[in-house]
Amino acid sequence: MSVSVSNVFLLNAAAGKAEPAELLHAITDKQLADWEAEWAPELLSSLQRLHRTGVARARWPQSRHWDWRRKATALQGMLAYPGFSVVCAGVTQGMMILDVATKRCRILSQGGKNLVYVWFVENAPWNRKELFDPPRYRGVGSILIRAAIELSKDLEFQGRIGLHSLPQANSFYANTCGMTDLGSDPDHQGLRYFEMTPEQAAAFIAKGGKT
Amino acid sequence: MSASKKTMTLNLTDTEMSALEDLCSKKELSKTALLRQALRLYQLVEDRIEKGDKLFFEDKEKKEKAEVMML
Amino acid sequence: MKIEFTKDWCMSMAELEADAEIGAGLVAIDPVFNGETVAVKSAEESIVAFSRFVQLARRNRGLTIEALAEKADVEVFELVTIEEDGQYKPDLRTVYQLANFFDVQRANLLQVAGLIAAKDTHIINEAVRFAARSESVAALTAEERAALDAFVSVLSEQK
Repeated sequence: MSVSVSNVFLLNAAAGKAEPAELLHAITDKQLADWEAEWAPELLSSLQRLHRTGVARARWPQSRHWDWRRKATALQGMLAYPGFSVVCAGVTQGMMILDVATKRCRILSQGGKNLVYVWFVENAPWNRKELFDPPRYRGVGSILIRAAIELSKDLEFQGRIGLHSLPQANSFYANTCGMTDLGSDPDHQGLRYFEMTPEQAAAFIAKGGKT
Repeated sequence: MSASKKTMTLNLTDTEMSALEDLCSKKELSKTALLRQALRLYQLVEDRIEKGDKLFFEDKEKKEKAEVMML
Repeated sequence: MKIEFTKDWCMSMAELEADAEIGAGLVAIDPVFNGETVAVKSAEESIVAFSRFVQLARRNRGLTIEALAEKADVEVFELVTIEEDGQYKPDLRTVYQLANFFDVQRANLLQVAGLIAAKDTHIINEAVRFAARSESVAALTAEERAALDAFVSVLSEQK
């Protein structure tokens, strides 16, 4: 089964120019391999760089990586959990897994309708300002959120999406994406839950100007 | 997700068609969208059941779980 | 599904997005970096870990629930409930017996089972971590064994 690909562009921050990239409508072995061989080592070494704390390395949950790979592999072929990834310069730059079957809207006005739930989205470590200054590529988040919205429209969910934001990303989802903040979710380790209405989805796409 | 789509004919009883139309109306989905959604849900439930997991409904107030018998 | 992304759209949004963090979902939590800021789990959450621990430790020894009940001298029905219901608070004696049988510190297992207040967050955090790493499948996988071993060493820590 072939993987659909959409052509996109990332902003190469150093060069200040657009660089062609690909949005894959899947997470393949290549993404999992990149995640383990390229992302994980960079992530751990930059965490080490930033956090010279007394936390022994043996206590770091490095096995979390194994869980993710096993989970992602288990989700392959499941219609309910489609994945997307962004690849540029031959390396995975961002990944996202969605749940399109089991979640419903929490915003009252949406009446419990179906939505596309972003189960997981992550930028490559070298694109994250927290870890690398200056980051390498910009725009990964917007492309992936747009992909989630477009899938939601394709499924007739009118562009509705929802997600639990990591603390540092609250601003991106509240401001750049213009989502509604429904507050800290006690069932989800206190992460803030954000949701996008069909109108907000249209506004987000319009933000980028000429589509 | 490949771009090409395959077409099939679906034969439903009057009762089934009625239930389908009610659901479509309530969820504001076309028949195709709804049935594709049903397929996704069915696949994921089957996948868990095959692994030996059980499907439960939880009563929100009483916090009691009742198993959905899957044959 | 076809999505058309124009270069202009990508660039406009890249400017707006700038260097924002975009991570979402529990799986995207960085070890250590986010771990510290995420809320400490309550006893309720660690009870799930207790349930998992009993199940995995039992299976690791190749025992059925009946066999474990007999060897550890606990009620079969309670063992079934412990393993099936991740929110069940077990009997004090049962936890004592299981701690002895599995050779872990009683006080630690009691904390995880939610029967005594957690003295420090470390045990509870490790319990939550263990619960996330373990899944119920027929045979204990190498990963599950590693997870179990790590958790057992935590439960064996003497204060």
